[in-house]
Amino acid sequence: MGRRRSLADLSYGLVIGSLAALALLIIVAPVVIVLTTSFTEGRSLKFPPTGFSLQWYEALFDASKSRQIHRAVYNSLEVAAWSTGFGILFGSMASLGLARNRHRLARVADGLFMSPLVLPGLTFGLAALMYFTLIGLRPSLNLIIAGHMIVTVPFIIRTTSASISQLDPALNDSSQSLGASWFYTMRRVTLPLIAPGIFAGAFLAFMASIDNVPVSLFLSTARTDMLPIRMWGMMESTLDPRIAAVSGVLITAAFLLMLIMEWTVGLTRRMRD
Amino acid sequence: MFSRRRLLAGATALGGAAFLPSIAHAKGSVAAAIYPGTWEEAFRAIVAPALKKKDSVDLELQPLFAVDQVAKAKAARGAPPFDAFVLDPGPRITAIQDGLFDKIDIKKISNASKLPAGLVDEWGVGVNAQVVGIAYNPKKVPAPKGWKDLFSEPWVSRLGLTGFQTTFGTVSLIEIAKVFGGSETNIEPALVELKKVLPKIAAVGQPAAMPSLFQQGQCDVMYTNTQTVATLKGRGVDIEFVKPETGAITFLTTLHIAKGATDVENAYKYIDIVAGKEVQEALTKPPYNFIPVNKDVPVPSYLPMKSLDEMSSFVRHDWAKINPLRAGWIEKFNKEMAK
Amino acid sequence: MRTMTPPSPDGAASPADGGGKRSVLAEWQLALPLALAFASIFLAPLLMLVGVSFFNDEKITQPGFGQWAKFLGDPFSYKVIADTMLLGLKTVCATIVIGYPLALIYLDASPRLQKVLIFIIVMPLLLSVVVRTFAWIVVLGREGVVNTLLLQLGIISEPLRLLQTELGLVISLTQIEMPLMLLPLISVMSRLDPNLRDASSALGASRWRTLFKVIVPLSMPGLVAGCLLVFASSTTAFISQTVIGGVRLIYLPLLIWQQSLVVFNWPFAAVVSLTLLVSVLTVVSALSYLGRRSGGYVHG
Repeated sequence: MGRRRSLADLSYGLVIGSLAALALLIIVAPVVIVLTTSFTEGRSLKFPPTGFSLQWYEALFDASKSRQIHRAVYNSLEVAAWSTGFGILFGSMASLGLARNRHRLARVADGLFMSPLVLPGLTFGLAALMYFTLIGLRPSLNLIIAGHMIVTVPFIIRTTSASISQLDPALNDSSQSLGASWFYTMRRVTLPLIAPGIFAGAFLAFMASIDNVPVSLFLSTARTDMLPIRMWGMMESTLDPRIAAVSGVLITAAFLLMLIMEWTVGLTRRMRD
Repeated sequence: MFSRRRLLAGATALGGAAFLPSIAHAKGSVAAAIYPGTWEEAFRAIVAPALKKKDSVDLELQPLFAVDQVAKAKAARGAPPFDAFVLDPGPRITAIQDGLFDKIDIKKISNASKLPAGLVDEWGVGVNAQVVGIAYNPKKVPAPKGWKDLFSEPWVSRLGLTGFQTTFGTVSLIEIAKVFGGSETNIEPALVELKKVLPKIAAVGQPAAMPSLFQQGQCDVMYTNTQTVATLKGRGVDIEFVKPETGAITFLTTLHIAKGATDVENAYKYIDIVAGKEVQEALTKPPYNFIPVNKDVPVPSYLPMKSLDEMSSFVRHDWAKINPLRAGWIEKFNKEMAK
Repeated sequence: MRTMTPPSPDGAASPADGGGKRSVLAEWQLALPLALAFASIFLAPLLMLVGVSFFNDEKITQPGFGQWAKFLGDPFSYKVIADTMLLGLKTVCATIVIGYPLALIYLDASPRLQKVLIFIIVMPLLLSVVVRTFAWIVVLGREGVVNTLLLQLGIISEPLRLLQTELGLVISLTQIEMPLMLLPLISVMSRLDPNLRDASSALGASRWRTLFKVIVPLSMPGLVAGCLLVFASSTTAFISQTVIGGVRLIYLPLLIWQQSLVVFNWPFAAVVSLTLLVSVLTVVSALSYLGRRSGGYVHG
C-alpha cells in the first residue's frame, strides 16, 4: 500500500513537474528568441542571429533615423496612459457601484462591461470607425483613446471587483454605524484597501493598450501612428531588426515598471487576487 | 559604439517627441497614405526632405495597404484621413467607382511631360512600375523557368503561396491559370492544379508573413516583385528574381488626390515632386530599389529590362474585368485551399 | 467575464443596504459614467453593425436579408464556424493541460518563488503580438528550433510540419493565452485552505486523488474563468491565426478581415462578425453554466 502510494506520488511529481516545465518553456522561448535576435550583427531579422552587436538599439535610439518609431512609441504611450486613466476612473467607480449589487440590472451592466473581452476586436474597430465617421468625427488620438478604453477597462474592473469582494463588509458597516459618511468611508476605508487591485488591473490594461492591433488598425491615421501598426509594417517587407530592438526596450521598460509596482503596491499579489 | 551620449540623445528624442505634432503643423503639410515597409521608408527618407526643401511642405505619411486606404476613405465618407492615395490598379478602380478621388488638373504637375504616355490620366499619376515574377533561394533550389515549374519537384514542395488579397498574388495566380488553359477571367485551372499538389506545398500564407517564412527557410520559392527581391537581397537574404518564360507581369502604382482632402494644393506639390527626376533617381537606388517612371532616369541594371519602353511587352491585366470577380475568387480560394 | 468571482454569499444584499442611509442611492450610480461611455462608444457602434448586416448591397442602400441568407446558406460557413470554436476549445484544453500543473507548482512554491513565477507568467503580455509571430516562425519553422533539435537528436529524419498546422497554431496560442488562464486560476487556488490538502493526504489519499477530488473541484471557478478568457481570446486572435496558422486554416476572423478590408463587403463582414460574436457568447455561456454547476460552494 505504502509503496504504491509513493509510486503514485512519484508519478505525480514527474508528470506535474514536466508539464509545468513545458509551460514555462513555451512562455519564455519566444521572449528569449526576440531578445537574442535584437542583438544581431546581421542586416535582417534572422534567428539564430549572426554575431553580437548593439547596432539595432543604436539605430533605434538614433533620433534622426528612427524618428517615426519614436513618434509611434509616444502616441502609443499617450493613448495607453489616457485610456488607462479613464479606465481607472470609470472602471473602479463602476466596480464599486456594481460589485455587491445582485440586482438583475447590475449583473447585466457588469456583463456588458466585461464583454469587450469576448468581442472580436476587429469587429469593434470597424464598427467604431463606421460609427465615428457617421456622426461626423474625424479620426484622432481621442477616438483611439476612447476605443482602447472600452477594450481595456474590463481588466481594471476584474481586479478591482476581486479586491472588493474580498473586503469585509463588516468594515463598511462598522464605519458607517460609527457615523462616518458614505464618502468618508469610501475615501478612508474602501479606496485604500482596493487601490492595489485597481493598479494591478491598470497595469494589465496599459499593456493591452500598448499592444492593441485591431482597434488601432481602423482608428489610427498619419497623424496618429501607433506602435504595433508601425511594427507590422516594418515586418512586412523589410525584416528590420529594429522591431526586435523595440520589443527589447518595451520588455525592459515593462519589467522595470512591474518591479516598481511590486515594491509599491505588491503587484504580483494583486494580479492573482 | 553604443555611447552614453547617443543613448541620451535617443531618450531625449523619445521624450521630446511630445512636442513634435504642434511643430509639424507650423507650415503647410500634406498627409499621404503610403504602403508600409519599403515604400514608407523610401518616402520618408527621400520624398519628405525633397518636399520640405522645395515647397516647405511637411509630408506626413500614414502606412496603409491599398485596400485599407480605400476602406478608410470609404468609411470616412467625404472626410478622408489623408490627402493623397497610393494605389495599385485594382483598388484604384474600386476607388474611382466609389468616387473617392478628385480629378487631377494636369497643368499643376510640371513633371507630367517627363512620364511615358499612359501614366497620367484624369484620376491620377503613375509614379512607379512594379514587375512581378518568381523569387527563389539559389542555395536551395535551381532556378525555375516559369509558372509551370512551380508545380513539379523540386520547387513544389518548397513553394510559398499567397491568395488573391494582394495585387501581386492575384496577377501571379492569373498567370498560373493561363499556363494551364485559363484566362484573365477564368482562374479555375490554377485552383485545380494547386489542389492536386496542395499537400506538398510548403506554405500558404499571409503576404505580410512571406518574407519571414522565406528567410527562415519555411519556403524557398514564391511569387513577388523585383523590389522585394532587391530589398531582401540587400538585407543578406539568399534570393534571386526570375522572369517567367511567359513574361514578367507589370502594373503601375499611382498617386491620387482624395476627394475632400484638406490640403489639395500641397497634395499636387507632393505628387509633382514624386514624379520628378531627383526623387525618381534616388528611389531606384538601394535599399529602396524602385522601378523609375521618369524618362530622364536610367533603368537599374538588375532589372529584367533595358529600358522603360521594353516594359510594354510585359504582361498587363485589365482590372476593370478582374475587380468584379475577385471577391468570388477569394471565397473560392478559401474553400479550395481549406484543410 | 466576471463569472470568475464566485458569488460571495456575504456580499449580496448586505444588511446595511436596508438600514444604511445613502448607500443604496449612491452605489449603483457610480456605474453610470462607464455605462454612458459604453452606450455611446460600444453599444451604438455595435447596433450600427447589426443594422449594416441587414443590407443586401455593398453600398449599404438596399435593406434585406440577402447577406445573412448567403452566409447561412453556405455549408462552408458552418465548417468555418465549427473550426473556429474547435480551435478555441483545443487552445483551452492545451492551456489547461500545461497551465494547471504550473498553477499547482505555484501553489507549493515559496512566497519568493511565487513572485518570480507571476513575473514569468505575465511575460507573454509584454511581447508585442507582431514580434511574437516572428518568434514562432523561428521556433516552429521547417528549419526552426524544434526541427533542428529533433533532427540532431535523431528522433526524426524529415523535418516535421509544425508551422501552418493547427497544432503549431494551438501551441503558439497557448503561450499568448497562458496569463489569461493562470491569473484567475492562481487567484482562486491561493485562497484555498491549505489544511484541506493536508487533511486529504493525512487520510491516506494519494496526491493524484487529492488533486482530482479536492483541488480541482475547489479551483473550478478560477478554471472556468480562465477557460472563458482563453476561449474568447483565441477565437479572435487574427494575427496569430493567419501568420502562424497560414491561410489554409480558415477561421471567422480571416473572413471578417477579407470581407471588410479586401473586398469591402461591409454588410457581409458585419454578418460574419455577428456570427462570431454569437457563437463565442454561446460557448462562453455554456462553459460558465457548467462551471457554476460544478463549483458553486467554494470561497471558504
